[in-house]
Amino acid sequence: MIDVKNLSKSFGDHLVLDDISEHISPGEKVVVIGPSGSGKSTFLRCLNLLETPTKGTITFEDTVITDPKVKIDRVRQQMGMVFQHFNLFPNMTIRKNITLAPVRTGLMRQEEADGLALSLLQRVDLVDKAEAYPNQLSGGQKQRIAIVRALAMKPKVMLFDEPTSALDPEMVGEVLDVMKELARDGMTMVVVTHEMGFAREVGSRVLFMDGGHILEQNTPQEFFDHPQNPRTQLFLSKVL
Amino acid sequence: MFEAFGRWLDWMAGRFYRAFLEADRWKLYLQGLGVTLEMTVIALALGLILGLVIAVVRTAHDQQRPGRRSFLLGIANVLCNIYTTVIRGTPMMVQLLIWSFVIFSTSRNKVMVGFIGLGINSGAYVAEIIRGGLMSVDIGQSEAGRSLGLNYFDTMRFIVIPQAFKNILPSLGNEFITLFKDTSLVSAIGAAELTYHASRIGGRTFDYMPPLIGIAFMYLAIVIVFTWAQGKLERRLRESDRR
Repeated sequence: MIDVKNLSKSFGDHLVLDDISEHISPGEKVVVIGPSGSGKSTFLRCLNLLETPTKGTITFEDTVITDPKVKIDRVRQQMGMVFQHFNLFPNMTIRKNITLAPVRTGLMRQEEADGLALSLLQRVDLVDKAEAYPNQLSGGQKQRIAIVRALAMKPKVMLFDEPTSALDPEMVGEVLDVMKELARDGMTMVVVTHEMGFAREVGSRVLFMDGGHILEQNTPQEFFDHPQNPRTQLFLSKVL
Repeated sequence: MFEAFGRWLDWMAGRFYRAFLEADRWKLYLQGLGVTLEMTVIALALGLILGLVIAVVRTAHDQQRPGRRSFLLGIANVLCNIYTTVIRGTPMMVQLLIWSFVIFSTSRNKVMVGFIGLGINSGAYVAEIIRGGLMSVDIGQSEAGRSLGLNYFDTMRFIVIPQAFKNILPSLGNEFITLFKDTSLVSAIGAAELTYHASRIGGRTFDYMPPLIGIAFMYLAIVIVFTWAQGKLERRLRESDRR
């Protein structure tokens, strides 16, 4: 589904991603972990070209999206993204947050989008917030809305950039629950996170990144129980 | 002592009478004030349109993805840069004189020349105000918009500009006040606004003090009223934040 070849990214002189190649298949739940500054967020943000790769190619369903001629908006409509700081639009109601993109991109009419928003809000148990503004919600509620907003575009893959890192501890659970349900429904997911429990429970594959490289990858079982790379062992000994 | 003060008061009253009431001169002040306000509003509208276009062009140019730079946008950006540099780098008075005596030297509608000059001048400043406002909106907002597949202009229109508006309102209010006061410069090219009438009356009555002090108070009163209204509007916008 997503094929990454020889991806490098540098900010000025600072090389953040160093020649990464990776393949993500449909239905996979890839969890990316690693210390801060390891390049995992940059890797994720390159997948929908929020960061422009310095070198290498990224292919999404037969489209080489790193080609400058590709209509990137069309590609992004099929890739949902959830941010660490939610990034809900504070100037709109929740319903408008959810329906803006599907309506403006011509995916559906306003009434259709309203209906979809309602059923998605039901799924995350926030129907009563449809006409509220983002600033009236708690962090956990905001992030659930942000997930719903991305889902309203009916994406083929969902990218999560540390979705629980900015939350109060008591709110982490409600967001992870929504993500788990999404995983059960078969969504292809790439998740950058520090939640090792989530990685172990939901992930179909765990990638460990450090210094701009993917140092190790395995099934969650193998990865957490028998880490091979000494750097991975050190990292896991600190976080587990 | 008391008598001398009484005589001084009489003398002053006579001067102000000649400046404002004799020969229905107050009508001229009202006319002038009308022209001044009209020029301010039209120049501000012109400045806003110009400023918004320039701010969007310059921001769009700066936010292009590397490797996808548009040639057209490059040219537009250079033009916008020249415009802001020239306008902000030369005195308003010189610009007005050039508009009036060089570019529109045959036009007799000096009010029109005035608001064109003022509007084009204001546009350069408004552009910087709006650009600052656009940049003050968290980058995550436009990233969220773009990640949903919205194009650049929809993201600007529905997400960034509405949020920037609240941030630029105070500076925009100041620009309105500056523009309102700067209309007095247009008297130099002979547009019949408030300052023009005041100095004409001063010339006719051989007494400049009453009309000039008089219009100074008029300018001041309007600026005070406007500042008050602006503060009220800002407070209301802030309240909507806490909804």
